[in-house]
Parts: sequence; C-alpha cells; structure tokens
Amino acid sequence: MGETIRGSRIYFPIIETFHLLALTVLFGAVLVLNMRLCGLMMKNQPTQQVAKDLSPWAWWSLVVILGSGILLFLSEAMKCYASKPFQIKMMFLFAAIIYHFTIHRGVSRSSREPHRAMGVIIGVVNVVLWLGVGLGGRGIGFL
Amino acid sequence: MADVPSIIHWMQNSDIGTGIRESIWVFPIVETTHVLALALSVGVLIWFDLRLMGWGMKHQPVSQVHKQIMPLAFVGFVVMFVSGILLFWSEAEKCYLSGFFRAKMLFLVLAGLNAGIFELRTKKTIEDWDKYPVPPAQARMAGLISILSWAAVIIAGRATAYNLF
Repeated sequence: MGETIRGSRIYFPIIETFHLLALTVLFGAVLVLNMRLCGLMMKNQPTQQVAKDLSPWAWWSLVVILGSGILLFLSEAMKCYASKPFQIKMMFLFAAIIYHFTIHRGVSRSSREPHRAMGVIIGVVNVVLWLGVGLGGRGIGFL
Repeated sequence: MADVPSIIHWMQNSDIGTGIRESIWVFPIVETTHVLALALSVGVLIWFDLRLMGWGMKHQPVSQVHKQIMPLAFVGFVVMFVSGILLFWSEAEKCYLSGFFRAKMLFLVLAGLNAGIFELRTKKTIEDWDKYPVPPAQARMAGLISILSWAAVIIAGRATAYNLF
C-alpha cells in the first residue's frame, strides 16, 4: 500500500489535499470553541452549547485527518520516522488528543461556565498544541 | 507597453522575488504563514457558511454568527492575501504557467463575487430570517457556493505546489 501511494503520481497529492481540507475544518472548529472559552466570541451562548454544535464536525474532520495521515505516513514511513519535525508533530498530536478528551472536554462540556482566567488558559493551551501539530507537519515537507 | 509575460518575468527575477525564493528561511516561513492564515480564515468562515446552510450553530441568530466570525475571517484573509502575493512574487513564472494556479484565481474571484452579492444584496432581508434555524434558499446557496469555492481554492492551491500540470 505504501509503495502504491509513493509510486503513483497523483495518489499522494490527492490524499494530502484531503488531509489539508479536513485540517482546515478542524482548526476552524478548535479556534471557534476556544475563542468562546476565552470569552472572545458567542458570549450570549453557553460554552457547552457551542461545544455540542461543533463536536460532530470536529469529530469527522479528525477521522479524515487521521485516516489520510496514516496513508501519507505509510508511503513515507522511513522518511517520517527519521524526521525531527515529524517526531515533534507526533508528540504534539498525542498531547493535543489526550488533552482534548480529558481536561479540555471536562471544562467545555461542563454545565457551569468556567472562570474567565481558567477558560483562557485551557483554551490557549489547546490552540498552542494544535498549532504545534500543524507547524511540525509543515516542517516535514521543508526539512 | 510591457506585456503580461514580461511583467511576470521581471517579478520573478526582481530582488524581492529572487530573495524570497532562494532564502533558506523566508520561503518556508511565508508559506507556513500562508497555510496558517488559510486555516484561520477559511476554518472559521466555514462555520458561518454552515450556519447559512442551516447545518450548524442553529441556536445562534445568523447576524450574531456573522458579527463574531467575519472580523476573524477578514484578518486571516488579509494575512493570507499578503503572504500569497509574496509567494507569487517569488514563483511568478511557475504560477503564471500553471493551470491549477489559474483555476485557483478563478475560484478566488468566484468566492469574492459570492461574498459581495451576499453582503450587498442577500443580507438586506436578514431581519426577516435571522432567527430561523434554516435561512431562505438564496442565503443557503451563498453558504454552499462559499464552501465549495474555498475548497476549490485550497485544492487548486495545493496542486499548484505539486506542479502536476
């Protein structure tokens, strides 16, 4: 499978394009939710409600990102394994996913609004983790 | 008067164009900025489009989502536009000759026209449908065209870099 993708002239670009489109959707969802957590957006709606509205889109985009990401990895496994940006990206990715489904989810799905400062910290950490994933990913192609 | 290919040739070989292209750091940094600004701008714009289509954020009035999302999308767009011009400057000839790049520009114009029509015409009656979970057909169409044309811009933009055609 890895060889098929690498050997084809168009599979890799097509898969990577899906990766990029889904990433845009996820990043947008992460930004909107965390701006709500920071109290910068949609203040007249509870954070819990915003989180529920965004959740299905965030989920599906994450599924597409991981699926296409695994295919891309298979085709360039050796290059990725040795790549520093890729290692950094994976660290950020695991941290982001674990953080998202534990601490972040606990706060954004709570029926009580978090304290403003708490919301800001929780939200900024989440955005920084996902930015780390994105920057690491872009770095693989360059370095 | 200079024709288009000679302007393109001049751009690519100007100090700025050559400087960006041949620098170890400037090109990757400008490119990364372009992609991040894209994710910011289009990523949040999608939520307004989904609201227009009645697919997301149904609990919020359309005007509220518009007011919250648009400033952010606009900031992202400006950064994307400026970094995009710098990228074009450094690879003007490659872009000019690329079929994907031309397609990208067409879809960009389509997205712009669609947004212009929405802002100047469709939005006029917003008070009548602001709180409906699903807005009227004209507004839904604006949301759909926006999502599709931006997706096409991204696809064609990524393909430009692969240099397939």
